[in-house]
Order: sequence, then structure tokens, then C-alpha cells
Amino acid sequence: MSNKAKHAVRPKLEQEGFFGRFSYFSSRALANLRQNTFVSVVTVGTIALALLIASLFLLVYVNLDHMAQGWSDKVQVTVYFDKEPAPLAVTALKGRIMNIPGASKVVFVSQQEAEKRLRARLKGQESLLEGVTADVLPASMEISLDRSNRDTAQVASFVSALKKIDGIGEVQYGEEWVKRFNSFMNLFRLMGMLLGSFLAVTVLFIVSNTIKLTIYARKDELEVLGLVGATRFFIKAPFLIEGILQGALGAVLSVVALLVCYYTFLKNAGNFLGVNPASAGLSFLPPAHLAGILLGGVLLGFIGSATSLRRFVNV
Amino acid sequence: MIQLHNVSMSYQGDAPALNDITLKIPKGDFVFLTGQSGAGKSTLLKLIYAELSPTRGQVLIDGQNLTRLSRSQIPLLRRNIGVVFQDYKLLPNRTVLENVAITLEVLGWGKRDIGRKVFHMLKQLGIEDKVNATPLKLSGGQQQRVALARALVNDPKILIADEPTGNLDDENKEQILEIFKEANIRGTTVVVATHDRRVITNSHRRVIRLEKGRVIEDGGAAPEHAAIGEDGYEQ
Repeated sequence: MSNKAKHAVRPKLEQEGFFGRFSYFSSRALANLRQNTFVSVVTVGTIALALLIASLFLLVYVNLDHMAQGWSDKVQVTVYFDKEPAPLAVTALKGRIMNIPGASKVVFVSQQEAEKRLRARLKGQESLLEGVTADVLPASMEISLDRSNRDTAQVASFVSALKKIDGIGEVQYGEEWVKRFNSFMNLFRLMGMLLGSFLAVTVLFIVSNTIKLTIYARKDELEVLGLVGATRFFIKAPFLIEGILQGALGAVLSVVALLVCYYTFLKNAGNFLGVNPASAGLSFLPPAHLAGILLGGVLLGFIGSATSLRRFVNV
Repeated sequence: MIQLHNVSMSYQGDAPALNDITLKIPKGDFVFLTGQSGAGKSTLLKLIYAELSPTRGQVLIDGQNLTRLSRSQIPLLRRNIGVVFQDYKLLPNRTVLENVAITLEVLGWGKRDIGRKVFHMLKQLGIEDKVNATPLKLSGGQQQRVALARALVNDPKILIADEPTGNLDDENKEQILEIFKEANIRGTTVVVATHDRRVITNSHRRVIRLEKGRVIEDGGAAPEHAAIGEDGYEQ
């Protein structure tokens, strides 16, 4: 065969088009995972552990936040009346109070009702209530506020709007408690954010360095590919797909491990710690957070591989 | 055609590895590049496959000036150049088939065509029974053949080999040289860097001798009376 003829004979290319190339790169990535078992296991394991730590933190944070939100239900404004208002006046007042932005529920507590509550609370010590009649206790209105309207300034402005309504007597809302509760919530969120960011940076650092080491271990492969005429994209694409697969697999494993931790230890931790007697224990992460962990894994794998490849692909 | 015009090459902080080299290697030629260790043989080869860029002068392959190539054009150049490295550079966790197939995968060949072509190549080199073995299970000579198969499987216009016979016994050396000759007969330009004088004298080909980064001899096969040590290597 002449040289010219020989060079002219080229089989049909299989990698043409997006799907052709994608299927080649994907099969190469899968083969790489298989052929570099140890390195792949180390990478997936690191990603899984790192994400598990982050998601455990997230689980605890979300539950504490939820619990604190529950406490904020106690932010309540109470209006006391010197004289019990007539039923018509009560309806009118309720309507006007509900018109103030931030009000979510208004309950009228009549003198009778107040006495009933007091008796219920002092059950077994009824003797204390001898001679106490409903007339002694004031009628009141208990006003609950929207979740978004419970910070100190908002409560104060609600109260001042409330006081402008005719017929409103004494208003009580535990000003000190609201202040303290809100500063606790602010501190809690700030700590959460600080710890969360610190954890995120640590996870990023550990995962990107692990990936860097695993890619360094395969730098010969990158070199050989470059020397036989592979383009930068051709060299990088399978590694990037590999990174995405490892990240996704690591994230799935971390969620599975989180589930195991949750059902083994955390589900009843609420009772154990006595922090939230109202509920049976900690609740699991909502689906949006789980999707976030999966996406985080994929991004970790992809970005970790991409930044490491930049250092080792010289073509 | 490979052309070097007044090429100099210095590694950072070192004395020049190549000093004002001008030479032409016509298409279809078979050239031995010789000289002692550190004479600049490997550096010269690296300039041809654009692993290095000269600090001065021009390198042209088929009229294309490599010093003016963009990064994205280098892969296209390398697809026409087969390189056999001194340390083979085989991937230990891939089979012989996969190691050789890399060259064709880069070109976008289909799986079936790759299998057929690689097997044919391995058969020509007498290692077709090792197709599914991994390189570490092969002898030095067999590994050398796999490296050769990877360099030759896409019928490159130029074949470059850096000390290809360094670790081989005489029988293997002969066989490897025979493969180079066959590739040359098929039209491939062959450039072999070696300091094994026996290989050169037996081949009767053009010899370019380097010393301290300069061409000190360019002509026919080295004379038999050249200083050769007991081990057959240049003194």
C-alpha cells in the first residue's frame, strides 16, 4: 500500500456530535473509576464524610431553628379591660385589631373564661380560690403576631398602633422577654452562619485537596494523553465527569449515613436532651435541604476536579 | 520535512542544552541522533514534538513554524508524530489494548475500528497474545513494543524514539530496529536518539552527532573504528 493511500484510509469517526462525544467521555469516566478503584474509593469516601459532617450540622441547626421559631409563638400581646366589653364591642375591636399589620389571631378571654382558666391551673388547690369570683379577674384579648412580625421593633410599633384604638385598656407584651428572645435568636443565627461557613470552607479545602492528590497520582495519564495529541477538552472531560460522579456518589452516601445516624441516635435525641418536650425528637432534613446536599456533592466533585486539572494539564 | 534554523535552547539558569543548531531532515529519512548523555538529544526531540519551545531560532515541521503555534494547535501537530519514550510512559492500570488505543481514541475512531487496528498492530509486533495484559506483567522488550505500537498505530508521518534500545538485549534491539525500518519503508520519517554505537553502525543510516548542544558531525553511519567500550556504548 502506498503511503498516500494508507494515510487517506480513516474509519468513520464515532465521537462526532454531542451525544457521540458525551457517550465516549462517560464510558471513559466509568472505566477510569473502575481502573482506579482505590483512588476513587478514597475520593468518594472523603466527599461522603465531609458532607456527612456538614449535613449533621445542618440537621441540628434546622431543628434548633425550628424549635426557636416555636418559642417565638409565645410572643403575644395582651389587652386588659377594666370592664368587660359588650359582645358587639368585642367583635368591633377584634376587627380593628386584625386590621393592624402583623396581627394573626385575636382571642377574647371573658371574665368567666379567665376564672375557668385560673381554676384549671390551680387544680388540687381550689381552696386558694375561695371567695374569688369572676368579677375580680379582668377580661382580656390575646393577640398573636405573624412570624415575620415578632422582632423587638415590630412588636413595639404594633403595640403603639394598638394603643391608638379607642376602648383599649392596659397592654402587656413582656417587653423584656421579647428583647431577650430576639437577641438570643440573632446570636444563634450568627453562630450558625459562622460555624456553617467555617465548616463549608473546611469541607471545600479537604475535598479539593483530596481530588488534587488523586489527579496528581494520575498525572502520567494526563501527560500521555497530551503527548498523543489529545486536546485540552478531550483530556479534561472524562475527569470532570468522573468528579461529578464521585461527588454525587459521595453525597448519596452521606445522606444514607445521615439517615442511619438519624434513626439510630438523633430521632429521640429531643427527649434525651429535654430541649423540646413538645415533639417526639429531632425531625429529618426537608427535601430541599437533601437536594442541596446532592447538588453540593456534584459541585464539589466538579469544581475540585476542574481546579486541579488546571494545574496538571499543560497542553 | 523537519527543519531547525539556528535553534538554541536553555533551561532556566543552566548552560544552553542546544546551541545554534541548523539541520534538515527530509521526508522519509531515517536519522540517528547520537552523542553522550547531556549532549542535547532528548531536548532536540522534545522541540520536534513541541514539548519544549526553543529560546532562540525556528523549528518547522512540513513548513509549519512550531514557535508560532497556538496552544490549541499543538495537539493537531502531535497527531502526526509518534513518540517512543525512554521510560515507555505506559499506563500501568490499563491493558495493552487500552494503552495502544489511546492514540486512536484521541482521533475519534470508533471502538470496533480501534480494536481491529490495534490487534493488527500488536500482531505485527508479535505481542498480540498480550492484548489484555497490563504493562507491569510484561518484560522490558514487550513493554517497548507496546510503546512502539502506541506510537505507530495511527501511521504517523514522523516517528521519534528516545533511547529505544537502552534496556533491551541484542535480539530485542534487532527486532525493534527492524520495526523502525519497516515504518520508514512505509513512508514514515524516523528520528532515533541513541548512544548505542552498535545499533548505529549496523544500520548504515544518516547519523547526527551532538556534543555539548552543538552538531559536530552529520553524515553517514558511524565508522566501525569509533571509540566503543566493552558494553557497546560510546565512550
